[in-house]
Amino acid sequence: MAIKRLFIANRGEIALRIVRAAQALNVETVVAVSDADRDSAAARMADRIVVLGPASATKSYLDPRLVVHAAKESGCDGLHPGYGFLSERAILPRLCKEHGVAFVGPEADVIDALGDKLRARAMASAAGVPLVPGSECIASAADARREGDRIGYPVLLKASAGGGGRGMVIAHNGDDAEAGFHKASAEAVAAFGDGTLFMERFVPQARHVEVQLMGDGKGKVIHFGERDCSVQRRYQKLLEEAPCAAMPDHLRAQLHQSAVDLAASVNYRNAGTAEFLYDVQRQEFYFIEVNARIQVEHPVSEMISGFDLVQEQIRIAGGADLALSQDQVKLSGHAIECRINAEDSTRDFMPSPGRITKWKAPTGEGVRLDSHMSEGAMIPPYYDSMVGKLIVHAPTRAEAISKLRDAIDDFVVEGVPTTLPLHRAIIDHPDFIANRIHTRWLEQVFLAEQARTAA
Amino acid sequence: MTNVTDTADGAINDARALLQTLMASDWREVHVRSGGTEIFIARDGGGSNPMREPAPVAPAAPTASPAGAGQAGTGSDTVVTAPHVATVVETLPIGTTVTVGQTVATLRVLDDTETVEAPVAGTITAVSAAVGDLLDFKVPILSIAQNA
Repeated sequence: MAIKRLFIANRGEIALRIVRAAQALNVETVVAVSDADRDSAAARMADRIVVLGPASATKSYLDPRLVVHAAKESGCDGLHPGYGFLSERAILPRLCKEHGVAFVGPEADVIDALGDKLRARAMASAAGVPLVPGSECIASAADARREGDRIGYPVLLKASAGGGGRGMVIAHNGDDAEAGFHKASAEAVAAFGDGTLFMERFVPQARHVEVQLMGDGKGKVIHFGERDCSVQRRYQKLLEEAPCAAMPDHLRAQLHQSAVDLAASVNYRNAGTAEFLYDVQRQEFYFIEVNARIQVEHPVSEMISGFDLVQEQIRIAGGADLALSQDQVKLSGHAIECRINAEDSTRDFMPSPGRITKWKAPTGEGVRLDSHMSEGAMIPPYYDSMVGKLIVHAPTRAEAISKLRDAIDDFVVEGVPTTLPLHRAIIDHPDFIANRIHTRWLEQVFLAEQARTAA
Repeated sequence: MTNVTDTADGAINDARALLQTLMASDWREVHVRSGGTEIFIARDGGGSNPMREPAPVAPAAPTASPAGAGQAGTGSDTVVTAPHVATVVETLPIGTTVTVGQTVATLRVLDDTETVEAPVAGTITAVSAAVGDLLDFKVPILSIAQNA
């Protein structure tokens, strides 16, 4: 039963992106907003809005009861959670199911299983997916030392319930491991209410690669190639590319197969991403986690494949089979996305909410902008500071870089500082151009150089 | 149990949200002006309060209904609004005399009901929400003329 009216439980560019995808499928749209977002671009474009609560996200976007109530009572038969907020909280699909609203995402049990990193690792291992050498549950500082000695340093202590770098500590020796246990465990308790830790070998110069997946929950899973998201600051992605140009073809084929096998082993439904650490020196990849949602960086996969992943999500949630076979997914060219945040990168990335006084976006063949911003639009201080994503597509990586350079130069934003100048400098850096980067390159090399230049 | 929402509650919610944002950031201070509300929060050593700098303004008139929130009663009545999105189950009728804390409306979110209480003692002068309505946050439910 195809979805007729879709509830969009998110804000910002992704809410607008989902409204557009729904409208392309002739699906009506109801957008959930907080008091601060009544006048957002998604709100203006939707057929209807429902004001959930005050600006505070915990009293609006993060309250699953309010979200599902609003969806049901506004006559929606489907709910898209976007990314962030409640998108990977199993309570949301559970409430949706109880109240007869189709959830645009995986089953609640699958979200639960994948959201627990230890269970996800076990599932990956069972599906034959390579894992970074690591431990089971770490219960004490003594455990941490013993396991660290066994795995070999450096190691990474991570929160089982974690994400976003919280509850994560690097240890270079046994003393580090013991001290790190106390620190990471305390952080994990504070951030997630659960201090359970595990340990992994730390790869100092790794790339972050991830495979875009789509399943129909009926046993069929296909992939849309991989993305390279190695440009990161504090574990947050800044710039993403597709494909991972640093990976040889034979390894790429293994990577795709591993991701598909894992998703098929849980009969995965809807869009998901399997994340891997790619050790370029060893020419090995290791499973990290599955993100059971559409991701911020999905457009680069759309650009190289030509498919609209959000439309596909909505169709599948409405009960449709996957309309595509793997053979029909032809990947071509190279795409790069930069996340444009209203942040001052010269002042330690300080978020800078405010009003956009001038907004002139680049256009052209192979240039795409996913943004909810316009002249006069407000960036409220309550939420993340992303103002949009600039995406380019060209036949080769070098041409994509050149196109992105022109697009950034044509982009005029006034009123708030943005990370556009930072992106411009990143793509001009010889290491980026030569593709000699890794997940800590931005912090260790690029930002360190910038700091030296500024001093 | 849910409290009645008015401009003061809205400002308090805004202040809480801003405080959370400030604490999670590297900012020294935050200053936001939105609608009729202006909020300034600073860490120790943050900037000085810009609202203190201009000549003191006259104290705000004690009107309860926020501009633009929809007038359900006469100007001086206390407007009781939805604390969040919810469906109306029941409201007391016009003319009912109520005491502070008395239940004046019952709302529903999914299968749970919750009550809305009178913030003032007085008489209900208008009921603007019908049973079964899906109310947005801050939408007026009813108005109470406060006892003199």
